[in-house]
Amino acid sequence: METFKISGDLTFRTAQTVYEELRRLIKKRRPSEIVLDFSAVKRIDSAGTTILNVLERYTDENSVALTITNMPPEVQRTIELFKFEENKKNKKPEELSFINAVGEGAYGLYRHFISFIRLFYEISSFSLYASFFRKKLRRPGEVQRQALEIGVSALPIIILISFLVGFILALQSAAQLRQFGADIYVVDLVVISMVSEMGPLMTAILVAGRSGSAIAAEISSMVISEETDALKVMDIDPIPYLIVPKVYAITFVMPMLTVFSIVFGIFGGLVITVTYLNINFLQFITEAVQAVYFKDIIAAIVKSIVFALLVVITGSYFGFNARGGSVGIGKAATASVVASIFLVIIADSILGLIFYFPH
Amino acid sequence: MKNPIIKIRDLSSGYGERLIIEDISFDIYEGDITVILGGSGSGKTTLLKNILNLLKPKKGSIELYTNTREESAGADIKRDIGVLFQNGALLNSLTVAENIAIPLEQHTSFNKEIIRQIVDLKLHLVNLANAAYYFPSELSGGMKKRASLARALALDPKLLFADEPNAGLDPFTSKSLDNLLLSLREKLGMSMVVVSHEVASIKRIADRVIYLKNGKILFKGTLKKALSSDIEELNNFFL
Repeated sequence: METFKISGDLTFRTAQTVYEELRRLIKKRRPSEIVLDFSAVKRIDSAGTTILNVLERYTDENSVALTITNMPPEVQRTIELFKFEENKKNKKPEELSFINAVGEGAYGLYRHFISFIRLFYEISSFSLYASFFRKKLRRPGEVQRQALEIGVSALPIIILISFLVGFILALQSAAQLRQFGADIYVVDLVVISMVSEMGPLMTAILVAGRSGSAIAAEISSMVISEETDALKVMDIDPIPYLIVPKVYAITFVMPMLTVFSIVFGIFGGLVITVTYLNINFLQFITEAVQAVYFKDIIAAIVKSIVFALLVVITGSYFGFNARGGSVGIGKAATASVVASIFLVIIADSILGLIFYFPH
Repeated sequence: MKNPIIKIRDLSSGYGERLIIEDISFDIYEGDITVILGGSGSGKTTLLKNILNLLKPKKGSIELYTNTREESAGADIKRDIGVLFQNGALLNSLTVAENIAIPLEQHTSFNKEIIRQIVDLKLHLVNLANAAYYFPSELSGGMKKRASLARALALDPKLLFADEPNAGLDPFTSKSLDNLLLSLREKLGMSMVVVSHEVASIKRIADRVIYLKNGKILFKGTLKKALSSDIEELNNFFL
């Protein structure tokens, strides 16, 4: 039998030291019984109480009998305050196995897809008819405000990025085409690329990053702070109230932004051809006009409208499905950008096949 | 005679050019539960933020004395203070248990097993034994408040600040929370500064009352004196 006298306080400041010392002594001396004399203990707190519990468990596991003697009444009362029965039901949720996780993930994607289609249908139906036939759903000024927010404020970055993309396209293609004496075709390459692909795609990606994430963040914070619930109990459907003005605004603004993107992308190409390839301005314009068909312009506008709808619906979807406070808002914004870009590229491929594959 | 644990002298503070509290002076005594009350906009939260060093005063001084004579002068004050914020202020990306473990991980060298046990103990204290692995977004308002209190009590602080601890709680939970605060004061000698509007709770727990109006102290004294004061607003409040 070993007797240990603990003196002073058994609190946050001392409990760790006392515990480690006792464990060391138990390991070294291997007694069959330990007596802890508490007569000189002045104060105990939750850390001290916990250390006693842990020590009890440790001695039990090591087949050592533990006895506590001469416990001052105040110390005993504090220990009583912190006494509790361990809750065996309070278990950490188990992690899924790989197969289960894959299955959960696949099913989750399926449910997302169904919910997305449902939301797409609701937004489309409200946008196409409800706002025209139900006056109370209209919000005067909101479409203009959204158009300014989505359109005007995105213009500088779209102009800059598009100019640089056109610049780089021309530079890279010039380096190759020069070898074959085909300098003039740099113009065709830049113009066709910008009109049919890069213009609509770059614009959609930039708008998804700027406005798509903002839509997701706005809607998700409204969901989390129960503002959408407040609308519902006032018999106001959040979709026509919040989303339809954005749909109108982005559908109106996106083709215009795409035109700016195309024009400034071509201008970027012009800078290279005029300075690097000795193709003058008039030659450039003549070749550019000949390279573009009416179908290309229609394809660009159709793409920009489709991309606009994908961006706003994806942002709304992740916004309405956000959970979990401030973390949920961040996740919704990020997920919306990633999903928007993914869907835009898929849509671009499909529309490309529709417009160009038969020929 | 009790020692002061907080001394505030001529404190003025606010936001920008706007003064919210002006020339506030009072003491908080060791082992007391001091309740600060006042109407909306009276400056209670601004006062609390100044004491917690979340807001710099424009004038005046605040002194905290959390060290007893037996403990070293270099003791870390932040370990001796626990704060229960009005809306809980739990970190949403962590479970309840992880939230409560934060001060234990930061300010002690306990291993994971001991920290887990202390966390369990605190959860039982506030009647949230089953909520260890829930996220804050999965809790009701009252449960968030209790989880936040468990975190505030993680290190058995000498000084507990509580901003509206009973708000959002049902009467039974409110009463058991008050009993818990009284037990902590009795068993651990914890001093408390509580901002509250709940009359029943104030009558149960307060030793001293400070009444703020328009950024100034209208009354400071014992609960007994507050209940028999001739200040009309204070009388109306306690009726």
